[in-house]
Amino acid sequence: MSAREPVLQVRHLSTCFRTERGVVTAVDDVSFDLFAGETLGIVGESGCGKTVASKSIMRLLPEHLSFLRPESEILFDSLDLARADEKQMRKVRGDRIAMIFQEPMTSLNPVFTVGWQIDEALKYHTDLDRSARRARAVEMLRVVEIPDPERRIGEYPHQLSGGMRQRVMIAMALCCEPDILIADEPTTALDVTIQAQILDLMEGLKRKLDTAIVLITHDLGVVAQVCDRVLVMYAGRLIESGPVLDIFHAPRHPYTRALLDSIPKSGRRERGGRLRTIEGIVPGLHELPPGCRFEDRCAGREQRCADQEPALEPLGQGRAVRCHFPLPEEV
Amino acid sequence: MRALDRGFRWLLGQRGVRKLLRDRVALVALAVISVYVGIAALILFFDVITLDETTERVGPRTMPGVWESPSLESRLAFAELYLETVQNALDKRSPEKALAEVRFAELELAALSIDERQALLDEGWDLFDELDELDDLDAAAERDPGVLAKLSRFEETAARLYRRPTGCAALKYRARLLLGTDRQGRSILVRSIYSIKVATQIGVVAALISVLIGTLLGGAAAFFGGWVDHLVVWLYSTFSSIPWIVLLTVLASMFMGSRFDGGLVPVYSAFCLSFWIAPCRVIRGEVLKLKELEFVQAATAIGFGRARILLKHVLPNTAHLMFINFSLLFIGAIKAEVILSFLGLGVKNEPSWGVMINHSREEVINHFFWQIGSATFFMVVLVLAFNVLSDALQDAFDPKHVG
Repeated sequence: MSAREPVLQVRHLSTCFRTERGVVTAVDDVSFDLFAGETLGIVGESGCGKTVASKSIMRLLPEHLSFLRPESEILFDSLDLARADEKQMRKVRGDRIAMIFQEPMTSLNPVFTVGWQIDEALKYHTDLDRSARRARAVEMLRVVEIPDPERRIGEYPHQLSGGMRQRVMIAMALCCEPDILIADEPTTALDVTIQAQILDLMEGLKRKLDTAIVLITHDLGVVAQVCDRVLVMYAGRLIESGPVLDIFHAPRHPYTRALLDSIPKSGRRERGGRLRTIEGIVPGLHELPPGCRFEDRCAGREQRCADQEPALEPLGQGRAVRCHFPLPEEV
Repeated sequence: MRALDRGFRWLLGQRGVRKLLRDRVALVALAVISVYVGIAALILFFDVITLDETTERVGPRTMPGVWESPSLESRLAFAELYLETVQNALDKRSPEKALAEVRFAELELAALSIDERQALLDEGWDLFDELDELDDLDAAAERDPGVLAKLSRFEETAARLYRRPTGCAALKYRARLLLGTDRQGRSILVRSIYSIKVATQIGVVAALISVLIGTLLGGAAAFFGGWVDHLVVWLYSTFSSIPWIVLLTVLASMFMGSRFDGGLVPVYSAFCLSFWIAPCRVIRGEVLKLKELEFVQAATAIGFGRARILLKHVLPNTAHLMFINFSLLFIGAIKAEVILSFLGLGVKNEPSWGVMINHSREEVINHFFWQIGSATFFMVVLVLAFNVLSDALQDAFDPKHVG
């Protein structure tokens, strides 16, 4: 953990959705810092709010369906993104904070060439002239290790493989050299070898450009591979955070522990070769329990867990956990 | 030039285009459409046929086309017309001036003095009176071969008043009489061909504007949602609940007496107001689907504004629908123009197939069907070619259609 100024400070981020059954809080009081040049992983099951959190930062959620609670603050470069208007956001998006999405198949516009799409982003955010923009686009494609970029630049997305498209997406996201790159499950739709290449690429680019990366994933393997710090989310709550190695070696929250246990491990077969899972399901956002949200699935639950929700307690060394009975430090 | 060449090569290399070029029927249809559009362009930009030529008298009333050998009656009428034209000029107060102004299609007056002309006319009228007295020319010719000889002499006398056209002019004059004349003695062929221009103009303008309006409204409705969507949906459900022919009638009669009365503007506006609904509906549906795709969110994440995303990133994805709608509306507009003009609400200042069909209402009762036949033929060929082509286009470019 460095003592540098954080590039992004998220404070009490709460994102609510208006639904037919009332207002639900998809992200509940999440706070974290992001430092330049680090990779922050946000992990959790489907529906735990990690994608909503990232889209809240970019303010990409539909305005008529969702809102941020007034106490939410997203401080970025002397600007509070939670209160910024659309015009200010447009300057931030793409130029300062870029985002890549899960589905490389549909993230590129099918009717335009790859070059056109990169050019469009450059045209919007830079003052470069035509030939300079083209040179920059070719250079970006080369940076993301696309072979023969001069030819590829004139190709349409359907002519590229999934991995290639994700590289193009990364090139588009990084062409304006943003301070922060938010990657929402960037490798989920790719097969494992391509996944590793893409992660390596992002890691390399992060070093080269000193970009901070927020990596959203449900894949703990990915987190272990590239992240410096991890936030674990459950049902909209931040339940554990800390440096990646500490969390992997000594998880303090039972949920984190259960997540780590359910990673399939090679070479070890247990209990008739079945994979370990976490019993039960994530509580629906409409019927959140009054106590700890993980209570009904937790092996070590007690009466207090059902009655009172634990607070996020700092543990020192940059770690924090939200549990009445955190696991002992050494397992 | 090299870019053009490269573009052309690229076009020929496309799978769909290759497939289309293998389809003989489609190629014929394409050729037919090109000819029509070419003619329309020639008339529109180079005045190959002027509006005056379509209203000019070229022969006697309701003269049949070349395939029917002219009856004795119509031969008599034709020669009478020759005489009459000159006679009218001579009867004017200043015959010299009037003679100089005589225009009778490609025919020019023979260089004769006024007296010589008068002599020919007198001779001609005498012959005409004799022939005209016979009630039934055909029956009389059967009884007395002298009648035929008299008719030939009458025709020769009338022809002497004019210089025989030669070369191109002769061909042109022959062509003008090819499909006969209507009740005002105007060339049906010329009017049919000129109508190509009117039809193409109406088709292109109405289809283009309708597709444009429909695309913008439908796209905006789907993309922005909320009140924009409500408004557009309300608009098109309201408009589509009015039978289009009623809407057209109302709009066309609204323009009556205005500056644009009889021109193409009322027709354009009537068509655009009722035709934008189809593309609007289709494109709204497509954009509803497209806007959920991640590239739209990716574009937002790059920082583009909503309008820019809609116009530059989403709507280009609906280009195929625009093309399909354009071709459907093009045919629709041509057919609707015919109906509208038939009702007397459409074009008035220019000939059009609808106007021609309208004019031929009384002719048909008298077994004279060149005009309606010609107008219908020209229209059917264009509409058929367009239908065949759009069918072939769909076969060629539909990715689900393999083979």
